[in-house]
Amino acid sequence: MTTRIAVITAGITEPSSTRLLADRLAEATVRALGGPSAASVDVIDVRDIAHDVTNHVLTGFASPELQERLDLVAEADALIVSSPIYTASYSGLFKMLIDVLPKDSLRDKPVLLGATGGTARHSLAIDHALRPLFAYLGALVSPVAVFAASEDWGSTEAGRLGERIERAGGAFARLLTGAPAPKQVDPFENVTPFEALLADVTGAA
Amino acid sequence: MTSFLLLSGSPSRPSRTAALLDDAAQHLDLGGHTATRIDVLDLPAAALLRADTTHPAIQNALAAVDLADALVIGTPVYKASFSGVLKTFLDLLPQKALAGKAVLPLATGGTIAHLLSIDYALRPVLQSLSPRHVAPGRFVLDTHLVKEGPGRGISDPTARRAVHQAVEQFVAESSTTQSSLTEPALSA
Repeated sequence: MTTRIAVITAGITEPSSTRLLADRLAEATVRALGGPSAASVDVIDVRDIAHDVTNHVLTGFASPELQERLDLVAEADALIVSSPIYTASYSGLFKMLIDVLPKDSLRDKPVLLGATGGTARHSLAIDHALRPLFAYLGALVSPVAVFAASEDWGSTEAGRLGERIERAGGAFARLLTGAPAPKQVDPFENVTPFEALLADVTGAA
Repeated sequence: MTSFLLLSGSPSRPSRTAALLDDAAQHLDLGGHTATRIDVLDLPAAALLRADTTHPAIQNALAAVDLADALVIGTPVYKASFSGVLKTFLDLLPQKALAGKAVLPLATGGTIAHLLSIDYALRPVLQSLSPRHVAPGRFVLDTHLVKEGPGRGISDPTARRAVHQAVEQFVAESSTTQSSLTEPALSA
C-alpha cells in the first residue's frame, strides 16, 4: 500500500528555501519508506492559493481549487509542513491556511515539521510556535524536526543540514510504519580486553 | 499626551475583536489621548500576502506603527493562537519596529481554555519586535462581547471592568515611561 504524503509549504519568494526544505524532507521520507513505489507526494504551495485562502478566511467558503487541497490534507496518511519563520513564529500566510483547515482534519495525523529562517537564532521557533499549534490540532508530531537557516544551505558544516534532513525523514518514516528505531552503536562493544593490551607490554602470551 | 494605535487582526466584519478595540478606544478618548485605528482586513490582501511594502496603503499602515507611542493589538484566537491575518501584517514590520513602544495585547475567543495563547503564542512574536514593554494582556470571551447593534462592545460588566482597568494601567505606564525617556536620568 502506498503512503500518501501531503506537503504544505508557505514560502513567499521564488525560488523559496522553504519549498526546497519541504521537497528535501519529502524525498528523505520517501527514501526511508522504501522509494517512490512506497509513497506518493502531493505538494500544496500556499503562495499559489493565497487568494483562495484569503477569500475563505473572509467569507468562510472554499473555492474548488482550495477545497481540493484541503481534501488532499485531510485524506493524506502523513503531512509534512514547512514555514518561514518571521518574528519568531510561523508566517501569517502559513497560519491563514491552518486557520481554514476544518476542525479535526489533522487529528491523529503524523506530521513532520520544517522551518526556515535567516539565521539559526530562531531555531527554537519550531518547538515554541509550530509544535504547540500542531499539538492543538491533535496531530502526531514527529519528535525530529528540521530548522534550516540561510547559512545551512550549501554548507558542509553548520549542523550538516543534509544529515539532519535524512535523520528527520528516517524518524518520520519509522513513525509511519511503526518500525523500531535502529540500535545505537555501542562504541565499547568490540574493545580489546585489558589483559590482551597488557600482554603486549609484559610479553606474556 | 500619548498617541495610541489600535490594531485589529480579525478577518470578520462585524467583528468581536473590533468591538473590543472600539470599547478600549472610547476609554482612551475619555482620558484625552489620541487613538488611531488599523484593521488588517482593510489593507490590500494581495500586497499583504506578497509582503509588498511598496504599496501606498501598506506604507501608510507601517508609518502609523512608526508614529505611535503605544499599540493595543487585538486578535481573535484561532487554533489556540493569533489569527493568520494579524500575522500577515506583523510579518511586514521591520525587525525593531516596536522599539521604544509599549504594547497591550487583547484577545477574544470562544473558550477560556485558550487564555494562555496571549502569553505563549502572541507575546513571543511581539517580544521579537523589540518593544520597550508588553503589558499583561486581556482575554475576553466571545459570549461577553456584542459585535454589532445597540450595546456593541463588552457586554459583561466584570469583563468590561477588567479591560478598562488594563487600559488605564497601560495608559499610566505608557505616559510615565514616555516622560522619563525625555528627561535625562541623572540631571538633578
